[in-house]
Amino acid sequence: MFERRLYYHIDWLLIGLVLAVCAIGLAMIYSTTGGAGRVYWTQVYALGLGLIGMAVAVSIDYRSLADKSHWLYLGMMILLVAVLFFGEVRGGSRRWIDLGAFNLQPSEFAKAMLALMLAKMLGEERRPALTNTDLVIACLLTAVPFLIIARQPDLGTAVTLLPILFVVAYVAGMPMKYIYAGLVIAVLAAPLAYRFGLQDYQRERISTFLDPSQDPKGAGYQQIQARITVGSGGVTGKGFMEGTQGQLRFLPVAHNDFIFSVLAEEQGLLGVLVALGLYFFVIMRALDAARLAKDRLGAYLVLGVLSSFTFQVLYNITMSAGLAPVKGLTLPLMSYGGSSLIATLVGFGLILNVRMRRFTN
Amino acid sequence: MAIAEDRRRLTTRLTVLRVSIGVAFGLLAGGFWFFQVVQHAQFKEMAENNHQRTLTLRAPRGIIYDRTGKLLVENRNSFNISIVREHTKDIDRTIRIVAAVTGMEEKAVREIVDRHRREPSYRPIVVVQDASLSQVASVMARRLDFELPDVIVQEVPTRQYPDEDMAAHLIGYVGEASEDQMQADGVTTGSIVGQFGIERVYNKLLMGEDGAKRVVVNSMGREIRTLEEVPPVQGRRVQLTINYAMQKAAEDALRNYGYNGSVVVLEPKSGEVLTLTSLPAFDPNDFATGIDRATWASLNTDKLRPLQNRAIQGRYSPGSTFKIVVATAALEEGLITPERQVFCPGGGTFYGRFFQCLGKHGFMDLRHAIEKSCNTYFYTVGNMLGVDKMYKWSEKLGLALKSGIDLPNEGESIVPSTEWKLKRNGERWYPGETISVAIGQGQLSVTPISMAVMMATVANGGTRVVPRLVKAQDDGNGWQPVTHPPSPYAPFLLKPETTAAVRDGLWMVVNGAGTGRRAMVAGRDVAGKTGTAQVISLQGRDRARGKTEQDLRDHGWFVFMAPKDNPEIAGVVFAEHGEHGSSAAQVARHIIDTYFAQRDGQPLPVLVPPAPAAPAAPATPARITAATTAGGAH
Repeated sequence: MFERRLYYHIDWLLIGLVLAVCAIGLAMIYSTTGGAGRVYWTQVYALGLGLIGMAVAVSIDYRSLADKSHWLYLGMMILLVAVLFFGEVRGGSRRWIDLGAFNLQPSEFAKAMLALMLAKMLGEERRPALTNTDLVIACLLTAVPFLIIARQPDLGTAVTLLPILFVVAYVAGMPMKYIYAGLVIAVLAAPLAYRFGLQDYQRERISTFLDPSQDPKGAGYQQIQARITVGSGGVTGKGFMEGTQGQLRFLPVAHNDFIFSVLAEEQGLLGVLVALGLYFFVIMRALDAARLAKDRLGAYLVLGVLSSFTFQVLYNITMSAGLAPVKGLTLPLMSYGGSSLIATLVGFGLILNVRMRRFTN
Repeated sequence: MAIAEDRRRLTTRLTVLRVSIGVAFGLLAGGFWFFQVVQHAQFKEMAENNHQRTLTLRAPRGIIYDRTGKLLVENRNSFNISIVREHTKDIDRTIRIVAAVTGMEEKAVREIVDRHRREPSYRPIVVVQDASLSQVASVMARRLDFELPDVIVQEVPTRQYPDEDMAAHLIGYVGEASEDQMQADGVTTGSIVGQFGIERVYNKLLMGEDGAKRVVVNSMGREIRTLEEVPPVQGRRVQLTINYAMQKAAEDALRNYGYNGSVVVLEPKSGEVLTLTSLPAFDPNDFATGIDRATWASLNTDKLRPLQNRAIQGRYSPGSTFKIVVATAALEEGLITPERQVFCPGGGTFYGRFFQCLGKHGFMDLRHAIEKSCNTYFYTVGNMLGVDKMYKWSEKLGLALKSGIDLPNEGESIVPSTEWKLKRNGERWYPGETISVAIGQGQLSVTPISMAVMMATVANGGTRVVPRLVKAQDDGNGWQPVTHPPSPYAPFLLKPETTAAVRDGLWMVVNGAGTGRRAMVAGRDVAGKTGTAQVISLQGRDRARGKTEQDLRDHGWFVFMAPKDNPEIAGVVFAEHGEHGSSAAQVARHIIDTYFAQRDGQPLPVLVPPAPAAPAAPATPARITAATTAGGAH
């Protein structure tokens, strides 16, 4: 299966960039949790597992994976439903499966699975141009995991599935009129969704985002603190482990959702530009894999995986600067979280897989 | 072809994605640049406000000593429990928990918080002053549980008065600064400043300078480390002119004989106050950590008025002690010589009215008239003087108006004059009124402090001093004498024969056949004069009999100096409802005895509790009932 010559086509540059981002993340986790503690080592182990997962994802030809994608998809849906019933409850939601040594968050893996499924469905070479039926099926395939994950409830992770559908459909040739229509509907439906579709706490988050000062001690607190954290960092930052906002816990979940704020505080604008640059090059390099892909299946798979990743990166960093409503969305590759790190690395394994096999038949 | 078109579309749309992502990253970088460069200063300050806290370190007030170096006022450490609203998420919840934990009324806590609502939120609002150890412990436990991140416990220096109510009116008390005091003393809210007595008058010396500590706190409000510390500077040490032993002797003696009242003893040459007391008193410790409402209310409504400083605010009729002024005035004005004799048949008729004497003294010269307190003699001499001369000499000797002591709210002693009456009542002076004034009755009302000043002037043979309470201060570089403004009174000298005659008469009061024999201290040549201040006229007493529960017994005065020929001390004892001056004389004896014993290094005298009095009706003292308001001068 894994031919020796393929080894020479592995994109070592992308792996290097990804590992560089992971290293920054580990350093920031070290800083915010006060040294090499339990959290830090958990992340290190997850990185190891993730690299193994990546190796596995690289070694199996993505076309064979795509052939079995409907089974994999079905298995994933069963797993997600199982979580709803047997999952660990933490912080009021049911997202994790207790595997003894660690907890697994299946929804993180659902992203790559959905990308594979949609790529397979919309990218099969023998299909003619994209039809409306295709689009409806794609929407349904997305809606199922979306609704299950939203039930956990974990709206944040559920929302990260949507870019996959959108980007894959877009590159698969979705007519522009649908995009415009979708935008119009979104604008019109937003107030209704705000009023009827959201829970109170979600509405509160949005309204305090628009005016954080209306509740500076409550829901607006994190947002104000995020801006203070970032702004007080200045150009060169306060120094490694010298931050005050993160170190003294003015900013909550600093090693998790707000890890980029802590980076901005301790390393300043320079650190921010380095990290932003790394993410940008990771994404651009991965986009190259889509461009170079041998077939549409490969290109769509890369784009599917990448869209979710890119969306999460952009949203989290925007939130880190206090410029977006606070959502429980982690920063892929940097935030603390084993499932997220492993799933992301597996996703990059798929991207590497596509690029590596661009010359094979 | 389809494949080529497919390719082209993919490439186009990939380019769109690429550009979009590039723009998004560019915007993000711009956002971070805006926050971290353009608005950096503002956010930096906000971050510092977040984690840096400036705590006031209260300066301990200066320690107060007596003239012999005995400690009168010190400081101890107490704990304040305060709410810092800056860290508060839900003030109602905090108030509820604090109230529950400290055992306070929720309403009371809320009232305190409301009172300080307009202050900056970083400033701690003190909810419990001088918290008990169990209150401190339960608050600290909640802090460890992160339940009360907005509540702090601070150690603060607190005033301590080891002798409790001794010299309370003189030393005074401290309390939280009022709005006006914050302006005047340049302090912030919550500062403790002097409110009464020496604590108030010499607040600037005693207050010291608060320090500050800048600390790093975490989001739970817990102190992580100290960035900078400016230690507080303790207030200056202050030495009073008070003599502890005498002060204590005065209060012990008044209590021993069962009197409220006042004692003032001066060093005549310097005007230094050796003793100044007023009973009943209060315990200034009650004020040190904020007086509770019940104690404050009871102090204010007490009929005996414990908050009044009788020594400088109580005004009473001087009675026969005024004869000293009359005698001095007549001699100085040259109207009489000490040898001039007046016949006393038991009273005299002036302006068509008979004025009573308490005995039939026969021929009296000045010395014996003072000794026997002969009214007839002083009616005659007073009539020769006239009221305005008596006023003139009252003022010269320091009995009229204010003494100028360095305590606030001194009352003005009143000695009438024709001008005074015209101004006050719009009426002219009737010569008959002069006769009553000559023996200290009528519209005279004087404070104990002015009596003491008068005695000091006579003891000095003329120089009138201003009573002073502070001797020296020490800002850490050794004791420095406190300079007082020079006495505003033109120095004058009494004729030596005036001084000699008056002193002789006063000596005979105590050591001869006079009314002050209870003040006699063997070998100390005490000179003095008793006096009785009527609380109510005799007719009034008859009318009020059985109708009022008010104590209508007369007050007793005793003014004194010792030793007679070169007085080292001069003063006054006022025994409230003491009925007679000799009751005050026995108090004076203990004080004088204490002074000389201490001066000579002998053991201090011990008081003997008086034998239980016979259960006689106290409201009917043995006295000669006379049909005149000027009857009761001894």
